[in-house]
Amino acid sequence: MEIRLSSVLLAAALLSGCGWFHRGEKAKTEVVAEEPQGEPSIIEPQVNRRAVKTPKIKAKDFELGGYFGALSIQDFGTNPIYGVRAAYHVSEDIFLEAFLARSKAGTTSLEDVFPAITVVGDSGRRLTYYDLDVGYNVLPGEIFLGRGHAFNSALYVTVGMGDVKFADKDRFALNFGMGERLLITDWLAMHLDVRDHVFETDLTGRTKNVHNIEATLGLTFFY
Amino acid sequence: MRPLLALLLLQAFSVTLVHAKEQLLEVVVAEPYLEMRSGPGRGYPVVYVVGRDEVVTVLYSRTEWYKVRAPRGQEGWSRRSDLALTKLVSGEPAPIPPYPDFATHRWEIGAGYGVFNHQNLVTTWGDFGLTDSLDVEFVLQQALGTIDNRYIASLGMRHTFIPEWRWFSPTAGIGFGEQYIDDKVPPKPLQTSNQLAYVSVGARGFITRRFMWRADWRKYVVFTNQNQNEEPEEWKFGLAVFF
Repeated sequence: MEIRLSSVLLAAALLSGCGWFHRGEKAKTEVVAEEPQGEPSIIEPQVNRRAVKTPKIKAKDFELGGYFGALSIQDFGTNPIYGVRAAYHVSEDIFLEAFLARSKAGTTSLEDVFPAITVVGDSGRRLTYYDLDVGYNVLPGEIFLGRGHAFNSALYVTVGMGDVKFADKDRFALNFGMGERLLITDWLAMHLDVRDHVFETDLTGRTKNVHNIEATLGLTFFY
Repeated sequence: MRPLLALLLLQAFSVTLVHAKEQLLEVVVAEPYLEMRSGPGRGYPVVYVVGRDEVVTVLYSRTEWYKVRAPRGQEGWSRRSDLALTKLVSGEPAPIPPYPDFATHRWEIGAGYGVFNHQNLVTTWGDFGLTDSLDVEFVLQQALGTIDNRYIASLGMRHTFIPEWRWFSPTAGIGFGEQYIDDKVPPKPLQTSNQLAYVSVGARGFITRRFMWRADWRKYVVFTNQNQNEEPEEWKFGLAVFF
């Protein structure tokens, strides 16, 4: 009896297993055409259902572009700087931004007076930084050019941190900035930025915080 | 061969043509009027108003604003909450997507500041939610110290306790990774790259509808080929957006 019961159970398990293998397939159903019993209906509705697909709305929250300008490296003169920037606009007020830029330091006044002294070697004069910032649009508004043109604009403040590689060494740097975004069209923007990169260094003898202020002009695309 | 090539070219061209003539969403104003501003923000002036039953075309969105085109061609920006009150031509409510729900969001990216073993730490992360409370996190960070500069990449799982709490939800995680010491004051490091594992406890909370904070404390075990493994600690705080 027990053996029979277990064999029945096994058979049931096997059958359900077979069903599991065919779980993706549709069960075949036989369609039997129904014969019209009385008079055929006069009007046969022939309506093809149209699949209506509502178009998706594109989000253009990213901003990507480049900038160039002047960077004043404390004790090392003011030099050209160029870089790329990418931003993501979280809300109409807040945005997150990343920067990557390069510059080359000049000579210190000590090196100018005593040409035999070298504070930083030639390869160490290359300055590279990246920054991760959070920004806030404080003064959104319009800028008027003549009588017929108005451009959207926003004054923003940013704060962030990153890495400054200078004199062959990576240093943690904080940055504080302020800028103006002027939208030439809704997808093209011009930026005027002033940012201070602060980091600690002992390059000129004693350990101190140095302020490296940059003023840049940039162009970005929204997409 | 040549007709085939011509056919192929024609097909490619037609595809680009179809692509260029992309379909845009059209909605009917159901409220008494719909305001259009000159820019995507409350600080920009209202420059045009569309009346009830008129059809506007939705071009694209930026944050919580939508660029729309009025029937006579004027373009401007309408607020999401205003546009959500419009209807489709068929009479159904307009498919203006709601904000991703804070408790059930899928993707998250963020960045922040921290301290790793008394060194300044710059941290960035990407996060994918498997369920409401369990997610996979990938973290890329740079620890900048006076002695050395190291990069740490890690992959782990994180559990969020009580994900439906808006302002504060505790988290706990576990994972593994790799560190690379890029540059160190002499003497040279015994090993420039090590494998590591970590456990973490932290918390998260939401600031606005798309914006959140995260704080995290981690205890690492850095596997070395010395007699003893290193056990550095790390804490960090960051801001993130989710999709």
